[in-house]
Amino acid sequence: MTSLRTRGTLFLFAVPALILYGGFFLLPAVQGLRYATTDWDGYSSTFNDVGLSNLTDVVSDDDLFRNALTNNLKFLLAVVVGQTALALLLAVLLAARSRASTALRALFFLPTVLSSVSVAFIWKFVYDPNFGLANSLLGAVGLDRFQSAYLGDEATAILWVAVAQVWFHAGQMMVIYIAGINQIPPELYEAAKTDGAGRWQQFRHVTWPMVAPATALVIAYTTLQSFKAFDLILGLAGNPPRSGLDVLATRIYTTFANSQLGYAAAESVIFMIAIAAVTLLQNRAARMVHG
Amino acid sequence: MNRRDLLRLATGAGAASLLAACAGPGGSSSSDSAKSDDTLSFAHWRAEDKEVFEKIIAGYSAAKVRQDISPSNDYQSTALQKLRGGSVGDAFTAFRGAQFLDIAKAGVWADLTGQALVQKYEPALITAGAQDGKQLGVPYQLVFNTPLANTDLISKAGFGEAPKDWDGFLSLLDKLKSQGVTPFAWPGGDAANAGQLLNVMVVNNAPTDDALGKIETGENKVTDDWFLTVLKQYQQLVPYFQTGATGTSSDAALALFAQGKAGLLGTGSFQVAGVRKLGATFGIDLLAPITTTADKAKYEGVFNATFILGVNAKSGKQDAARAWIEHLSDPEVAGVYANGTSQHVTVKGVEYTNADLKALAPWLTKKTALAPRFQFSNLDVRGAVENATVQVAGGKSPEEAAEAAQKVIDQKK
Repeated sequence: MTSLRTRGTLFLFAVPALILYGGFFLLPAVQGLRYATTDWDGYSSTFNDVGLSNLTDVVSDDDLFRNALTNNLKFLLAVVVGQTALALLLAVLLAARSRASTALRALFFLPTVLSSVSVAFIWKFVYDPNFGLANSLLGAVGLDRFQSAYLGDEATAILWVAVAQVWFHAGQMMVIYIAGINQIPPELYEAAKTDGAGRWQQFRHVTWPMVAPATALVIAYTTLQSFKAFDLILGLAGNPPRSGLDVLATRIYTTFANSQLGYAAAESVIFMIAIAAVTLLQNRAARMVHG
Repeated sequence: MNRRDLLRLATGAGAASLLAACAGPGGSSSSDSAKSDDTLSFAHWRAEDKEVFEKIIAGYSAAKVRQDISPSNDYQSTALQKLRGGSVGDAFTAFRGAQFLDIAKAGVWADLTGQALVQKYEPALITAGAQDGKQLGVPYQLVFNTPLANTDLISKAGFGEAPKDWDGFLSLLDKLKSQGVTPFAWPGGDAANAGQLLNVMVVNNAPTDDALGKIETGENKVTDDWFLTVLKQYQQLVPYFQTGATGTSSDAALALFAQGKAGLLGTGSFQVAGVRKLGATFGIDLLAPITTTADKAKYEGVFNATFILGVNAKSGKQDAARAWIEHLSDPEVAGVYANGTSQHVTVKGVEYTNADLKALAPWLTKKTALAPRFQFSNLDVRGAVENATVQVAGGKSPEEAAEAAQKVIDQKK
């Protein structure tokens, strides 16, 4: 049995981590809350306390913030659905151990090791309306009517960035799914086959429920990635991004660059609440789907 | 010290830190005066000028100079915070407008008033570096934010000289289109460069020279007739822009022009060097759309005095930084910079040997307006106004785009 003295000593091992957590997360978070109640410009030695007016303005009287939130939610939905579905599909197809599947896994994983800036350069080339790969390919196969301005189309621009994001990270999520699929006991598939289940039914009644933990992990991770897709968006859209490509992280950065640090802090607080709300909803949805 | 004391100490330190975090923002920034590094930091955003500056640095023996270069948009966003620390940018540059004003408000410019180096500049061209009677910085570059024209294509279209009114301009674009080239390459997908066209679209339509600045103060609105005229003229330009103009990057528009596939490039003289770098050999001139009738046109184009050089008041190497700025202000050195980068400078007595600078020299005496786009000090307001022009180019009606922009301006001004 561990004595009280030993347990106390063990507690000390956590102190360095707690100091780092406190110094680099807790204190800035508290400072952010404090700044959110000021009109500080980020460099003056003086400021005014403005109470909660920054927060109420962000929520009720800021079309730019609302637009960024809408874009972010569109982006989140497109990436979570697209990336999860693609990663699962790739994992199911490549779960078997063979030389071909190992090579293909490596190929699909490759984009993950690139930097966001490199990915942005690649997709800028793909999406360029005049010299880009996408329009050139469509033109070459006679599908000119589907050619687009891509990132220049206000209504769909954020969805084209979502495509780049899915390409960037689907391989990483595929690896998580493959690990999940490889954990499923083969007997379950054998039993399903004995009961006459086809491939789809095996997937529906064996694979899908058994990869639930992996799915929860993939969705949670993808959600965070979607909220943090700052560098990819700046790389593709420039700084500051136009309204069709502005998301919460870039909006906060623009406000900061506009010498409104107090207001940017208030936007960050609402951003944090939005992430917490979305994560909570996802957890509940995951529990409902997987029991 | 026993374990209990250690825990008490940790709790106390934590509580003190939390209290400190709850304290207000502000306070003074640190200075770098104690830094032992003897290299002078020169902060700017023009990566394309790096080689020319290296050449100038190689011939400068008074100090070692290191270029700290950030991309222009990042520089706009983060330079002030870096400069306040004093570790970067003993000598530095700033954009005219919002950034210059913010840096002044933060007290980062060391006053250059009365310094000998100031006398080396054309007085009329360095007003953008002055505030409250003090010369805080010296604008170095003299650029023309006026579209570039491929003179070979313009001549083929039968235009010996630039059209004098809006109808004439549209007629030129029609002729270029009939020749199978893109009449007007415009980087609508690049926020920084898309907005350059606004300068020439506004100067002759605006009721006063400070009309854009008055949008920010609320005295003018983007729903006013004169600005709706600007937006309607953007709408008229849409058939002449390249395919997918709202999604075209600056590099792609530049390439289109440099390859001789576009008659005009809607940015400015600061891209001449980039065009030549891509191998273009055709003649280049500037050609501004005159947006009114000939008799009502006040200006032939737009210029800007920018790349404002200054000494960092937070630096411990102010004397060395001032000496470096003085070196750059020498007409011979400024000539190396100008001819190497294909940009005019504000320094007096510079000899331009670069063929493009010689060709554009007549613009130094033409009637041009100081670029109005930089009258905005609030980036959100500027973004809303410029976004309206891009939305119109993307198919939105001028009235709708103006209404949406005005709503944002009312919230942000």
